[in-house]
Amino acid sequence: MPTIVSPEGPVGPGQRRLSALPSVLAGVRIGVLDNRKPNARLLLTTMAERLAERTGARLVLVTEKANAAVRGEMLVLERLRDEVDVVLTGSGD
Amino acid sequence: MEPAPGELLVADELIDLADERPETLFEVFESRGWGDGLPLVPPTLDRVQAMLAGGDPDVVIGTLPPRFGLATRRALAVNAVLAGAPPEVFPVLVTAIRALCHAEVNLQGVQSTTHPVAPLVIVHGEVVARAGFHAGCGAFGPGSRANATLGRAVRLALLHIGGAYPGRGDQSTQGQPSKYAYCVAENAPECPWPAYHHAVGVEAASAVTVACAENPHNFHDMESDRPERILLKAASTIASLGSNNACISQGEIFVALCPEHAATIASCGWSRRDVQLFLYDRARLSRDTFLAAFRQRRWAPWMQADAAGETLLPMTEHPDNYRIFVTGGAGKHSSVLPSWGVTKSVTLPLEA
Repeated sequence: MPTIVSPEGPVGPGQRRLSALPSVLAGVRIGVLDNRKPNARLLLTTMAERLAERTGARLVLVTEKANAAVRGEMLVLERLRDEVDVVLTGSGD
Repeated sequence: MEPAPGELLVADELIDLADERPETLFEVFESRGWGDGLPLVPPTLDRVQAMLAGGDPDVVIGTLPPRFGLATRRALAVNAVLAGAPPEVFPVLVTAIRALCHAEVNLQGVQSTTHPVAPLVIVHGEVVARAGFHAGCGAFGPGSRANATLGRAVRLALLHIGGAYPGRGDQSTQGQPSKYAYCVAENAPECPWPAYHHAVGVEAASAVTVACAENPHNFHDMESDRPERILLKAASTIASLGSNNACISQGEIFVALCPEHAATIASCGWSRRDVQLFLYDRARLSRDTFLAAFRQRRWAPWMQADAAGETLLPMTEHPDNYRIFVTGGAGKHSSVLPSWGVTKSVTLPLEA
């Protein structure tokens, strides 16, 4: 019986996991991270506002990355970490 | 003393296959969401050992996003075996992966963008002949084992170690065929100018360039004896609103000249720099044309400045962004490789 080696290799320290989503949105602080794709801010902000209306959550922060092709600046990410509980981001084109 | 094969692999998952049938390996990979959809060579312990050729398997060459897997020499060797690569090309794979991990490549963006971008590996110098890379007729493929399997090994590493699977990591809207394998060798013997790696300051006998680009776009000229007539066709191919270079001015544009076009251009006294300057001057569109096509532009500040609508603006912000190398065989077809844009090529000396 042949034995083979997994092609994945170990995972490095850079890997991060998404936080668990809250089960109840009432009172939750929502943030929007505009990734600068066309219409991303309009789409994400509208979604956040409607989500807040329906659930009692609050849209408290709308911020942005420099552009969609690079990771968010550390100051932006730290602000999201400190000021919101849920982030809406990741709009396509 | 050489460690036993099992001792080298304690950190990795070993998988027992039910039998040696090719279909069995295929099914195991499919069930785990691995692979590129093509048949694979089983990465058995002895094959992985042979690929490593005695080097330290635990050396980490880099971290590949979006999975942030560690590209150890061992993990790269496994993917090289899977791709069917001969051990002679393994140093090229290691060098290419190290180059892809340079910050200016922006590998996380390359791996996850909706654009079809794929890393092209260009092999330079004495390793081309020594390891069997092909720079002649049909250089971009198919047919050369070294080119095909090295390109495929890079892709398999980006899939398995980097986690860039279509739809779950790699968000490329349509993908492109060069995401299977994208490797070519420079035809230095028929290049009338210094070899590419020497031109960018890498004074090694062999080197590897990685450039994240679209598939090659052909341009042909079968009749001209002047550089301008040949390169105007290149400029016309480059000056396209459909490429990311139109709205991201930092992007490079690789131009793969066939030997006959290069010879004609050089016979008129033109240097590689002359080619860069000509393309920079002639691959242009009017400011009005750009503005009508794009609301969002990542242009250099001087390109954003107000100017008359008919002012011709370049497809990239600096002549240095034109990257000229020679590859291919007889005939008069060359190609242009537009960039994803938010990435820069890297050239490194070949690792031992």
